[in-house]
Amino acid sequence: MIKGFTRKYKPLDILSEEEEEAIHRGALYVLEKTGMRVEHERALKLFADNDCLVDFDERRVRIPPGLVEECLRKCPSSFVLKARNPDQDLMVGGNTVYFMQGMGMRYVDLDTWETRPATAAEHREAMIVADALENVHLADGIFFYMERQGVPPVMVMLENLASGLRYSTKAEQFGYQKDCEIFAIQMAEALGINLNPELDTASPLTIYGGAAEAAFRYVEAGIPIQPCSSMTMGAEGPVTLAGAMTLGVSMVMAWAVLTQLIKPGAPMSIQHGLKPMDMQRGSPRFGAAEYALTGAMMNQMLRRYQIPSCPGSGFTSTSKKIDYQTGYEKSMGALLSALSGGNLLIFQGGSCAELLYHPVLSILDDDVAGWIGRYLEGVTITDETLAIDLINEVGPIPGHYLNTEHTRNWWRKELFQPKVADLEAYPVWIRSGKQDALALAKQRMEKILTSHKPQSLTPSQEQAIEDILKDARVYYRSKGLISEEDWTTYMKTLDNSA
Amino acid sequence: MQDIILESLSRAIKDYDKAAAVRWVTAAADNQIDPLRVMESLTAAIREVGDAFGAGECFLPELVSAADAMQAALPIVEEQLRSIGAKRESIGKVVAGTVAGDIHNIGKSMLCTLLVADGFEVVDLGTDVPVERFVEAVRDHEPDILAMSALLTITASEQKLVIEALQAAGLRQIVKVIVGGGAISEEFANKIGADGYSPTAPGGVRLCRKLAG
Repeated sequence: MIKGFTRKYKPLDILSEEEEEAIHRGALYVLEKTGMRVEHERALKLFADNDCLVDFDERRVRIPPGLVEECLRKCPSSFVLKARNPDQDLMVGGNTVYFMQGMGMRYVDLDTWETRPATAAEHREAMIVADALENVHLADGIFFYMERQGVPPVMVMLENLASGLRYSTKAEQFGYQKDCEIFAIQMAEALGINLNPELDTASPLTIYGGAAEAAFRYVEAGIPIQPCSSMTMGAEGPVTLAGAMTLGVSMVMAWAVLTQLIKPGAPMSIQHGLKPMDMQRGSPRFGAAEYALTGAMMNQMLRRYQIPSCPGSGFTSTSKKIDYQTGYEKSMGALLSALSGGNLLIFQGGSCAELLYHPVLSILDDDVAGWIGRYLEGVTITDETLAIDLINEVGPIPGHYLNTEHTRNWWRKELFQPKVADLEAYPVWIRSGKQDALALAKQRMEKILTSHKPQSLTPSQEQAIEDILKDARVYYRSKGLISEEDWTTYMKTLDNSA
Repeated sequence: MQDIILESLSRAIKDYDKAAAVRWVTAAADNQIDPLRVMESLTAAIREVGDAFGAGECFLPELVSAADAMQAALPIVEEQLRSIGAKRESIGKVVAGTVAGDIHNIGKSMLCTLLVADGFEVVDLGTDVPVERFVEAVRDHEPDILAMSALLTITASEQKLVIEALQAAGLRQIVKVIVGGGAISEEFANKIGADGYSPTAPGGVRLCRKLAG
């Protein structure tokens, strides 16, 4: 199991007990009075069979508070995400903090900062880098490079999952869309892993059929799910942080009820993203301070319910480049997510809202993750670390500590060493070509790609994945979701990348 | 009296006051004010708010609220127009929706609002709209423009299916098709045979003006 980072002190609580209670009761009231729109017949029947008030014409379900609280209690406080390499399993929950590979739909050219669909080789290289990075604990081959050259959109998630499984042995994130979960479950079963699929809620108060159907499929297959409670505040939810939180918590509660009615004790984490809207442009402000605040509030509410939390704050920036804005928006968001009790932080590699991903950024972000992890681990206080005898022994100047056994024993444990930060003295920096962190990260990427060899799938595993992909291709082609023109291009792309 | 009513109607739009907009447009009807003049007042008021938005003097919450107030008043004045055998003068008619499998509403709703503020007649089909509903809506409403939104790469291909279905139904020639959303690029729009693409809602309005003109 990957240990990840342990937050060794109390989390940052920003709500008082009374404020927490007000949000909790408000959310219960919303679910009982207004309820959720659920566009899924089987889910509606399940709610109706369990004492919810269901209007089948309006597709509306009103949930009694007692049922909500019972189902919240049934959600496990932690669960295991199984990796291809069992040494890399994750135990999600409690005060453990893991970092997850970030997302961004397109590849970005680091000279022009223009984006374009990625090639299979670029996806593979990004996965190899993610596999090598010590602070990427959960891989996410799916949600970066959702635009792939020569791959029909309907096959991208499965091709990305296959690439993720081939080039990383870490546990994998997933999603759902147009039945692709059927094939993803088959892949997971073939490799003896589970996935961590995220399922959308449409705010306000709506679960569409695709997400509900995927929930049934995953929960019944024993796979933990990660429903999302997301909105742009002022558009898809109230603009006040308290109102947005009340709406967000009511959607969390609705998912807890659905999940626990499908299978009591089924594991679930919540991904959340309550961010303000740019009132001029209409787009979400991913780097906003308020996003970090709602992230902290939701982390606190999820701790109350003992449901593992996956905060979105810090996962991306609106900057189009790998620059100062990307650095501060992502770092501050992630740091506050970690301090306030997030368990799975979506992080390394993405920027430009959700548009770009680059492995060089994942390398830079990995240093930030290490920095945050060091902060979380806090301070060890023992006789040895207090070093009182040593302080007395060394005494005043000319005494120093560089030559002591204590320094040799402890410095690596106590001090975090970033891999690609510019730490050089100024004259050395001038002589060595004025290299900044971005340049150093590019060099580290080259080094990783020449030296890191992820453990391959066994021949039988590879065959199983390829067979499942073939079935999926036939399935989507027969459903008319891959045109003949796209099919021809797709087949050529596969031949060229083989 | 007429001037007071029309001025109050205009003020109601600019104050985002739906109830007052309905009240004053009803008063205009009761006082037999020419519905064409009422419509002019409404249009001038919403355009003023739209211009302020364009100049960065007001923001989306104000613009959307003003457009909502206008839409609350519109049915009453349209009924009046019909009764005298006249029609609302609009720049054009747009049917808009987010494609099947895609639940993202805001971008499409912004476009609809900005189009209304610009003088277009808009039919909003909502989100997660299946191919057949787009085709039916084009058949029923005979719009100048069909606008489709998709935020996800995987749902973007639905736009292509809609265009193919319009062709199969013999409706492609009567309507211009535009596409937008996070997953859409100009290259993709060209590839699926759309007539236009815009990455933003204000750009979508400019595109609609160009295509409807």
